[in-house]
Amino acid sequence: MATKEKMFMEAVKKKFKEEPTDISTSYYKYGGWKQSKSKVEFQAAAEKIAKDRGFPMMNEDIGVPLGQRSWMPYQLSHTDIFVEPDDLHCINNPAIQQAWDDIRRTILVGLDSPHQTIERRLGKEVTPETINAYLETVNHTMPGGAVVQEHMAEVNPALVYDSYVKVFSGDDELVDELDKRFVIDINKLFPAEQAKQLKAAVGKTLMQAVRVPSIVGRVMDGATTSRHAAMQISMAFISSYKLAAGEAAIADFAYSAKHQSVNMGTMMPARRARGPNEPGGIPFGFMADVAQSDRVYPDDPGRAALEAVALGAIIYDQIYLGGYMSGGVGFTQYATAAYTDNILEDYVYYGIDQINKRYGGFCKLDPNDYDELMNLAEDVDSYSLEMYERYPAVMETHFGGSQRSTVAAASTGIAGAMATGVADCGLNCWYYSMLEHKERAGRLGFYGFDLQDQCGSANSFAYRSDEGLPMEARGPNYPNYAMNVGHLSGYTGIPKAAHVARGDAFTANPFIRVAFADPSLQFDFANVTKEIGRGGLREFVPAGERTAVIKG
Amino acid sequence: MAYKRQFYPGTTSPAVARRRLMDPKVKLQKLREVPIEDVVKLMGHRNPGEDYKSIHPPIEEGSEPDCPIRKLVTPIDGAKHGDRIRYIQFSDSVYFAPVSPYQRAWMYLSRYRGIDTGTLSGRQIIEVRERDLEKMAKEFIENETFDAALTGIRGATVHGHACRLDENGLMFDAWQRYLWDPKKKEVKYVKDQVALPLDKEIFVGAPASMEDLRKRTTIFRADGVDMRDDKEVSKYQHRIHKLRTLGGYQPFKVKGV
Repeated sequence: MATKEKMFMEAVKKKFKEEPTDISTSYYKYGGWKQSKSKVEFQAAAEKIAKDRGFPMMNEDIGVPLGQRSWMPYQLSHTDIFVEPDDLHCINNPAIQQAWDDIRRTILVGLDSPHQTIERRLGKEVTPETINAYLETVNHTMPGGAVVQEHMAEVNPALVYDSYVKVFSGDDELVDELDKRFVIDINKLFPAEQAKQLKAAVGKTLMQAVRVPSIVGRVMDGATTSRHAAMQISMAFISSYKLAAGEAAIADFAYSAKHQSVNMGTMMPARRARGPNEPGGIPFGFMADVAQSDRVYPDDPGRAALEAVALGAIIYDQIYLGGYMSGGVGFTQYATAAYTDNILEDYVYYGIDQINKRYGGFCKLDPNDYDELMNLAEDVDSYSLEMYERYPAVMETHFGGSQRSTVAAASTGIAGAMATGVADCGLNCWYYSMLEHKERAGRLGFYGFDLQDQCGSANSFAYRSDEGLPMEARGPNYPNYAMNVGHLSGYTGIPKAAHVARGDAFTANPFIRVAFADPSLQFDFANVTKEIGRGGLREFVPAGERTAVIKG
Repeated sequence: MAYKRQFYPGTTSPAVARRRLMDPKVKLQKLREVPIEDVVKLMGHRNPGEDYKSIHPPIEEGSEPDCPIRKLVTPIDGAKHGDRIRYIQFSDSVYFAPVSPYQRAWMYLSRYRGIDTGTLSGRQIIEVRERDLEKMAKEFIENETFDAALTGIRGATVHGHACRLDENGLMFDAWQRYLWDPKKKEVKYVKDQVALPLDKEIFVGAPASMEDLRKRTTIFRADGVDMRDDKEVSKYQHRIHKLRTLGGYQPFKVKGV
C-alpha cells in the first residue's frame, strides 16, 4: 500500500478547515456543544428525562464549556465511516458491546472426552449419526430449552436467538459426515495454507464452539459461560444418548465442559476482584486470534495488525480498563486514537515499507541483531513523531500525549515484530519508542503508564513469571499492564503482527482462531472498525435485546 | 576524585537548554515582574494577606519524635511552620514552549528540596509547602521558563498543549483563563488556576517571538532541531534502552555498552 499520500489526510481535512500543516486556527466561537449533533440530542433527551422524573439529569451546560474548539468527527480507520466521539463510547455503541458479548459467551468444549465416557463407561456407540443427533439436541438446550424434566420453564427463543453450538475438527473425513449446518468449516473459511496449518494444529479432536446467549453474560457474568454451557451440554447428552440423569458418569460431561474447555479469559488475581472469563484475563495472543482480518484479507498483514489493535482497544481499553477497572465515563477518546483517522495506519504502512526496503521482506531481520532492531525502531518511531510535528492537524487530533505515545509505540512495536517475526522483539521496540518519545518531546503520557513504559525495556525479553512472559501469553493480567490504559490495544497488535509476518495461521490458540471465523456470530471479527462504525451509525443490530418480553 | 555533577548530554540548542535549566548554579533569567499578591491570586489557595493554614504545629515546638533522619534533614521553611502542601501546575505547548513537562520535573528536582512533582504529557504539577510554593511560583512565572502565550497556569481542564495556536499565538485553553490584550499587547489572566474569575486582571507580559523561542526551547522537533541530529543525545537514549533490556535479560552481556 502506498505511503506517499499520507493516509490520515482525508480525516484531518474533514476535521479542520485549515490546511493540515497550519499551526494557527480560531477557537471559542463555534457555539459550544450545540455544534455537536449528538450533544444536542443528549441535551434534549436529558431535559425530557428531567421533566418526567422531576429532578435534574445530565446538562451539557454544567462543567467545562464543551465545544470551544471546532467539533471533530472521527473516521473509522480503513473505512469511509465518520462518526462523533460519543458514538464510540462503549455504552453508546452496541457493536462494541456485542464484540465483548461474543467473546465472553464463547467457550470451546471438546467432545473427545465425553465420547470416551459414552463408549467405554456407558457402553453406547458414538457415530456421526449420534453426533448429529446430539448437535440438534444441544442447539435446543443451549439457548434455554428443556429436555429432561416435563414441567420446566424455558427461555423465550426471541431473547436468545444468538445462542448455538457448532463443531470443528482437523479431521476432514469426520467433518464430511457431520451435518454441515453445525460445522465451522475450516476448509471453506480459511485460505488453503492457513487451513492446512489449522487442521494440523487442531488434529482429530472434535471441538464444540459453544455460544451461550448474550443476555446470559449480561445478566450474570463471564464465569457463567462455562456453567451455562456445562449444564446444557450435560442435558443434551442425557437426552440424545438416553442416559440416566442421576448416574455419576454424567458428572464427567459437566467436568469436561467446565475443566477440559477453553475459556477466553484466564483467571485473574483476587486483587482485581474479577471472576474467570472476564476481559482482563484474555491474553493478547487469544485476542489476536479472535481478530480475523488475515483470514479474509490474507495479503494485507498491516490490516491484520491494525484490526487486532482496534479489537484490543474496544475490549481492553474501553470496556475493561475504562469500565471494569476505572469506572465512570471511561477512556473513549484515548482508546479510539488507535483505530480512527488512519493515523496509526499511516505509521504502520510506513514501517512495512521500511522493512521491505531494508530487509527485503518480513522476518528477515535477525532477532539477535539488536543494534539493527534499535535502528529500525528509531526510524519508525521518529517518523511517527515527525508526522505529529509536521502536521499540527494530526497533533491536535491526538491532543493527549497518551494517545500519541500509544500510537507511536504501536507502530514501532508492530514494525519490530514484523521485521523479525518475534513478538518480544516488537515489544522491545515498543519500549524503545517510549524512551525516545520522552527524550525527544520532553513529554510522554500520564502517570498511569509512564512508569511501566520507562521500565519496560527490562522485562521485554524476560520469561520469568513475575517479570515477563512471551508476548502472546501476556495480557491485562500481567502485573505491569494492569492499568496500562490505552496501551492494551497496541500490545494486541504486536503478537498478531509477528505471526502474520511469519505466515502463521494463528497467534496463540488454533481453536480460538477457528471458533471466531464462524459467520453465525453477531459481530464480524474480520471487519472490526467497520462493525464499530456501524454501531456508531446505529446500523448494527445486537443480540440479547429484551424487546421480545416488553409490552408495547 | 570529587564527583562532578553532570546534567544532560548533547551539543544542540535543546540539549544545552536542558543542561542550563537543570544546573542549579545557573541563575535563570527573569523576564517579567508579577507581584506576589497576584501570584497568590493566580494560584487561588489563599487570599493575599491571609494567614497560612497549618497541618501540624511548628517543628520548633518540639513534638517531633527522636529520629536520626530528622536530624540529618534541614526542613524547608514551610515544613518548619507546619504549612499545608499546595500546588501550582503549568501547561507547556508543543509549539516551542521554553520548557516541557519532563524538563520541568528534572529542573525542579535538581534545584529544590521538599517538593513533589507529577508529570503528564501536557502539564506538570509541583506540590510543596505553601509559603515555599509561593516563592517558587513567583520565580517560575517571572523567569525564562514561562512564556505568556505558550505556558499556561492551570489546575484543571489542562488540555491544549497539542492544539494549534489561536489568532494571537496563544495556546488553547477551554476555560479561557487568559486573554490577549490588544492595547497593551500582553497576555492577561482573568481567571485563576481552577478557572474562578479573578477580581482584577493580572498581566503576565508579552509573548516571546517564535524566533526567540526556537532558540531557547528544550523540545526536539522535526521542524526545529531533530533529536537524531544530536548524536550524543541519540546515543544516550539508545544506551539507556539497551542497558535496561540487557539488564533484565542477559546481564552478563552488559560490557562496554
